[in-house]
Amino acid sequence: MTILLPTLLILLASPLTVGLVRKFKALFQNRRGASIFQPYWALLSLLRKDMTITRYSSWVFHTVPFVVLGSTIALAALVPAVPIAGTYGNVFLIAGVLALGSVFLVLGGMDTASTFGNMGSSREMSLIALVEPPLFIVFASLALFAGSFGMGDIIAHFTSATAGSHVLTAVTLIALFFVVLAENARYPVDNPATHLELTMVHEAMMLEYSGPYLALLEYASAIKLTVLGTLFVSLLLPSFAASGTVLALLFLGKLILAAFLVAFVESTIVKMRFYRMQEYMALAFLFALGGAALIILSKLSGAV
Amino acid sequence: MDPLLISRLFLFALATPAFAALLGLLLRRVSWSNTLTQVLFALSGLVGLGAVALLALEMFAGSLSSLQIGGLGVLQPLGVPFLGIIYAGVLLTSFYSIAALAKYKEIYVLPWLNVASALFLIGMQAVVLAPSVLTFLLAWELMSIAAYFLVIADRTEDSLRAGFLYFVMTHLGFLALAAGLLILSGGNPLLSWAELAQGAATLGALPLSLAFALLFAGFGSKAGLVPLHQWLPYAHPQAPSGSSALLSGVMLKVAVFGFLQSLTFFPSLLFPWMLVVLLLGLVSAFFGALHAAVENDAKRLLAWSSIENMGLIFAGIALYFLTSGTAALAPLAPLFALFVMLHILNHFLFKSGLFMAAGVIQSATHTRDLDSLGGLARRWPLFSGVVLALSLAAAALPPLGTFFGEWALVQALALGLGAGDPASRFTALLVLSSVALVGGLAIFAFVKFFSLVFLGRARTEAAEHAGALSWILATPVAICALLSLGVGLVAFPLISGIPVGKLFGAEVVVAPGAGIDPTLVALILAAPALALWLITRVLRTKIRITDTWDCGAPLTPRMQYTSTGFAAPIRFFFRTLLGARREIITTPVVASNPWVTKKHLDWQIHSIWEVWLYKPLGHGIVRVAHSVRRLQSGVVQFYLLLVLLTLILTLFIAL
Repeated sequence: MTILLPTLLILLASPLTVGLVRKFKALFQNRRGASIFQPYWALLSLLRKDMTITRYSSWVFHTVPFVVLGSTIALAALVPAVPIAGTYGNVFLIAGVLALGSVFLVLGGMDTASTFGNMGSSREMSLIALVEPPLFIVFASLALFAGSFGMGDIIAHFTSATAGSHVLTAVTLIALFFVVLAENARYPVDNPATHLELTMVHEAMMLEYSGPYLALLEYASAIKLTVLGTLFVSLLLPSFAASGTVLALLFLGKLILAAFLVAFVESTIVKMRFYRMQEYMALAFLFALGGAALIILSKLSGAV
Repeated sequence: MDPLLISRLFLFALATPAFAALLGLLLRRVSWSNTLTQVLFALSGLVGLGAVALLALEMFAGSLSSLQIGGLGVLQPLGVPFLGIIYAGVLLTSFYSIAALAKYKEIYVLPWLNVASALFLIGMQAVVLAPSVLTFLLAWELMSIAAYFLVIADRTEDSLRAGFLYFVMTHLGFLALAAGLLILSGGNPLLSWAELAQGAATLGALPLSLAFALLFAGFGSKAGLVPLHQWLPYAHPQAPSGSSALLSGVMLKVAVFGFLQSLTFFPSLLFPWMLVVLLLGLVSAFFGALHAAVENDAKRLLAWSSIENMGLIFAGIALYFLTSGTAALAPLAPLFALFVMLHILNHFLFKSGLFMAAGVIQSATHTRDLDSLGGLARRWPLFSGVVLALSLAAAALPPLGTFFGEWALVQALALGLGAGDPASRFTALLVLSSVALVGGLAIFAFVKFFSLVFLGRARTEAAEHAGALSWILATPVAICALLSLGVGLVAFPLISGIPVGKLFGAEVVVAPGAGIDPTLVALILAAPALALWLITRVLRTKIRITDTWDCGAPLTPRMQYTSTGFAAPIRFFFRTLLGARREIITTPVVASNPWVTKKHLDWQIHSIWEVWLYKPLGHGIVRVAHSVRRLQSGVVQFYLLLVLLTLILTLFIAL
């Protein structure tokens, strides 16, 4: 029950995150923007539509939406919205589940015989390969800081740690932010708003999907954004992570903050050229290493 | 169980291949001679597996600590799992070879190929059973020479060249092994292992170091560790696919066995050398994964991935010995041992399965070139599912077995960030980063492998018209995939110490705060996907089968990404380490008009080890030979002078 309720909360609220991001982006651009509940209606109307499927696809194409959304739901269950004590939600299992979802999305893009899908897949796969080192280092340093590899324990430790020790994790959190942007195909790695073939990664892989399958994939990416975004906010502002009766309200606060952060980044910086992604990833990796070194040194000196 | 009976079963498994090959040779005019030989091979594998299982039960019960096998040798506990892998490999690949080799009667001389296979199988078992230096070296040489004949079995130019490279490298390795073992045994090749260990205990640091370096070079060259890996990606793919599976899946493990066994002879002195092993293991893992990610030949990709996995295993062994000696780090050592054991098993399963699958693909489409394949998932839905599972296992993704092995490794390294002195913590950080990078590249390589072969449209006619699949070929591959899944669900908790009755649903907690529950992992991944699938059945969506969206111009299969194109970003990002070079060559079609041109992309990648190590070394040797040639003046007086000088020098040294 302790795991089920927060997971359900994430599943229910995820489309709202996407709506909020779009709303904030519209406000940044002096537009009024669509309602923040628009993504719910978009998903529901996709569910009612027919599907067109290319004749060159195999059973893999039909499996992809279920595995992608299934693994994302597993992710939502493993990264609790509230601190859950114990080794549940091992950080490296979370990394593995993230990679599994991405890999199946890539397979979906490859099973279309379309250059667009193939291109998105090739790029996404390259990004996944390069994002692994910073992701692993960030997770390992968070676990070292908290003294436990369970994601629930880590969040709980952040809520109870002193302000002084939080400062130590700042560099690691920067690296985490880099990783979250890359994992969710947001600026500066990918542009979620265009269908212009030169800039897209994530959208290109989903190009041949339509109807309910597309709804499943869109929903999956909304959940992923919510899970990783709220995780980042929980670690950045730990008071938001406290559990209790105001859980739902706090969660909403995290959601709004995460959406604002993403929209702010997307409205203030430009997308990077794909063939400069190794620089972005190297930077993320350096931040991760620096953060890890800081935490290791402070552990050695007994500061935390 | 009576030890005598178990040892007889082992003897039976050892002798049957020879008998089977001889029988095949005698009956070579008969159409079913290959089938008979392979069935007998498989039988020997089955009996061997049974013997291993019985022996393992006895050893678990504590009633037997080692087993005398006839007059041949004593089987120590260390050898048991490796023999198990050998027999399992024999069983699977022989069953596969019944149908796989039958198609190639024109290309291979089957009876003699089977003789080579039999010698190879006997050699591998003898390496594990060998009781003394001399028998070990003989068995090792038998295994290596037999493998040479497997590599050159199709007698093409490529195979002969790969075989030659292998032959030279394996003999350099053999020399290093012989020298290393003879240093330890004080020059006496007849010593048994126990006597050798006693003698080695009295040796000084310098001879021990030298012996270790030589042994590591010998076993490392067989296992394909950088910088002695150059032969492996050429040699392993050239053998028939069943034999490739044995070479990559099993023989490399025999090299690991040899290395582990030789480590027991060293009384001390391991620490600095283990850092070397760790470094070379990680470098091998990185280069193996990187080359696998950009490789276009299906079987060579698998061979590069073997280098990657061997590198990880050697790094794991090194980490075990580095941590087990220090009090602060000792709790991590069992985790590295867990990784090494699981990874040896996992790599055997997925690599054998994938090599056999590559053989199936090659025999149906007549190509191993990933750029020419595609679309096979629609033709072979079940088989593609099996290969997908194996590819996910090779990419170490949950819920397959490899993931849990690598989890133990990563978990131990992450725990190492918080234990021991500063130097060891920062070493753990760097090792963790490289393991993560290697893992990312491995995912890339195997997603590429699977999707280029099975997804999209066939890129050539040959792939378009791939025929039906024989169940004899598909079954061993499917067994490998199922066992890969089983390793995660059963072997991982079992080796971690969970009692047999509670294997499912028990959390494996390896340290305070670090645990994982394989059953829950499988459940949490399978349940939502299945539930979603059921829910969408309710929607009863109408599906229209159409063309791929083509922007108005019809698509051709050639417009799909090729393997070359798919790996372009990785080739670009790592261009310095790959020695990658690309240029667009523009030639005008009409000499008078520079605008109408024919363009063609020329690209290549090098092994930087070849460019920076092998070639300078070769040039250096040639240069030395040239300068030595100046001595050959043809003047008799000069030669006499040389003889005199040698004599004086000899007398000088002798007196």
